[in-house]
Amino acid sequence: MAWAPPPSAAKLYRPNRYVSLPAELDPATYDTSPEKLRAEAERLAIRSRLKRQYLLQLNDPNAPAVIENPALIRWAYAKSQNVYPTFRPTPRTSFLGAVYGLGPLLFWIFVLKADRDRKEKRIQEGKLKRAPLSVFF
Amino acid sequence: SEMSKDMMPGPYPRTPEERAAAAKKYNMRVEDYQPYPDDGLGYGDYPMLPNKSQYERDPWYQWDQPDMRHNWGEPMHWDFDMYIRNRVDTSPTVVPWHTMSKHFLLFLSIMLIMFGLGQIYPSYRPVGPKQYPFNDLYLERGGDPNKKPPAVIHYEI
Repeated sequence: MAWAPPPSAAKLYRPNRYVSLPAELDPATYDTSPEKLRAEAERLAIRSRLKRQYLLQLNDPNAPAVIENPALIRWAYAKSQNVYPTFRPTPRTSFLGAVYGLGPLLFWIFVLKADRDRKEKRIQEGKLKRAPLSVFF
Repeated sequence: SEMSKDMMPGPYPRTPEERAAAAKKYNMRVEDYQPYPDDGLGYGDYPMLPNKSQYERDPWYQWDQPDMRHNWGEPMHWDFDMYIRNRVDTSPTVVPWHTMSKHFLLFLSIMLIMFGLGQIYPSYRPVGPKQYPFNDLYLERGGDPNKKPPAVIHYEI
């Protein structure tokens, strides 16, 4: 009877949301196919074009004082002003909105009310030791 | 700012032309560009980049912004401000995460269970009440020196 091959080191490592797979265990690092090489070349072309634009602005004697980064502007815009136009009420978003919006409010309403009811009951039974009311400490 | 409206993030791309235009806008390859799934949460056409912190990037490469390990014009992760080097770090660990969490939780649970059991069923050597000299410290406890103290004998012969 043939046993299954042992699990690869990447499977044994089990990367998750908190740690990523080390490059040595990732089979993509050892992949030297022409598609990968062409993809890397295209990425390098984009990167060098951006770097050239940046360095031209950086070393320009008539340059503006602040070199604005369009990626940063897009990021800030996407997180602040692009959320409302692209939001759509779906069952999931409505549920999440109710949970996060109304959940804490209702929770604290019930907790505080129960606490004060219990205190009131103890006062009526005379069990609660109340200090005499004073406006100085 | 003075960037035109088509340079800014927009709604989710539906047609392949919109995808190509969005990839060009974000300075990415069309094959690399992958927007967040369209379930109305407000991401729009922002690209979904791998969830890796800035710690994992090459420390020896000459970045345009060395402390952020970020190049000018490179698309930033949606949670970029979480993944900076002062905050969340997703670098690979020496020991796998599941091993670490298993060891930690086992240790913590065993110690807590043993402490709990020790509180419920305490065990110590048997003790008797403490015996004081001088008739149970009659004078030190404020007894009258003119009266004869009650005799307290702690031994048996």
